[in-house]
Amino acid sequence: MSTTTTTYRDNITPVPRTGTLYDVIDIILDRGMVIDVFLRVSLVGIEILKIDIRIVIASVDTYLRFAEACNRLDLEADTRSRTVPELFGGAGGGGVVRKAGEQGVKKAVESGEKKTKKAASGTKKAVGGARDKVKSALPGTD
Amino acid sequence: MTEQIYTYGIVRTGHRLPSEATGVGNPPERLRALSEGPLTIIVSRAPGGLLARRRDLLAHQETLLALASEGPVIPMRFGSVAPDEDTLRRRLTESPEEKHDALKRLDGRVEMNLKALVVEDSLPTLVREDARIRRLHQESRSRPGYESSLRLGQAVAEGLARRATQAAARTVEQVRALAEAMSPGPEVEGCVLNMSFLLPREREGAFRTAVDRFVAEYRGQAELRLSGPLPCFSFTDPPPRARHRPRASRPSAAAVASERRS
Repeated sequence: MSTTTTTYRDNITPVPRTGTLYDVIDIILDRGMVIDVFLRVSLVGIEILKIDIRIVIASVDTYLRFAEACNRLDLEADTRSRTVPELFGGAGGGGVVRKAGEQGVKKAVESGEKKTKKAASGTKKAVGGARDKVKSALPGTD
Repeated sequence: MTEQIYTYGIVRTGHRLPSEATGVGNPPERLRALSEGPLTIIVSRAPGGLLARRRDLLAHQETLLALASEGPVIPMRFGSVAPDEDTLRRRLTESPEEKHDALKRLDGRVEMNLKALVVEDSLPTLVREDARIRRLHQESRSRPGYESSLRLGQAVAEGLARRATQAAARTVEQVRALAEAMSPGPEVEGCVLNMSFLLPREREGAFRTAVDRFVAEYRGQAELRLSGPLPCFSFTDPPPRARHRPRASRPSAAAVASERRS
């Protein structure tokens, strides 16, 4: 019988001291000294790396989710409960809002990913497009 | 045959190469130093088919951090590849004063990056306090529909972003005294603030403590995320003053943030 204690910790890829790559990827990619005659490695794949959940902040799905949450606020106020956890999916049926919201977000992300795969440079266009759609859906809000 | 050369950063000649540091690629390329007089650039062979993979982004960053523990480094942008050694040596000796100034400026310094993200926790307060949102809310209730919902939702999203922007601007005003320089980062979707700070390494703890206080204070308004220490990626250029380009004042964080949102 072996009494050796194996520590697996050492084998795990160390987490960088600097926080997650996710939080600093913009700095690593877009900052640092540039010498003009130097080439830059092909950045195919960068757009996919940059895609993240934050993109949906500007999406229609998010707007609709906020509107829904506002309406939920009335119900919560009626039952004299106003805590945020309930508002976003705690007791009292708030879970429905959260579920609907999450599905919306997931959908938006999925469609975002599909778009990116179609055109790697499409990220900003997709967001811009969403904004345009909102604007055209809302004449006179400017 | 000429071989492309991947570049990491510029250091002073004599800078010790940390033994644990390795380059980009799989397996990682071996680092070497190319010296021209008092300046040295840390390089490796450029691996074929190099892309911005997670592994390589981290290798670039970790190598620069390891180098920085031995003295000042001017970080090269990720993925910079010199076509051949001659070109690289020529470029290394160009405008040496600028490089020496940068090395002096970055000596013993680290970069810290602060991002502020919109949070949804303040929704009830926002609806209570914002007259326009209350009105849109009423409209949405009396005439429910896709368009009124969209209108309300958009107003809410803008209101939440405004609250986060204010919290971010106040935080920057309170902590900027600890930094020697600030540099706005690129626009990031969902962030109302992306600001890098240059500070002496020994002040990192104090800076972190200062920011942490606002992380707690503004929890309901913004999600403040502090990253670092990073290689000084955002401070390789001389500060605006040194370039003799008159500029009224550094834009405030709020101005930067609002510029970004427009």
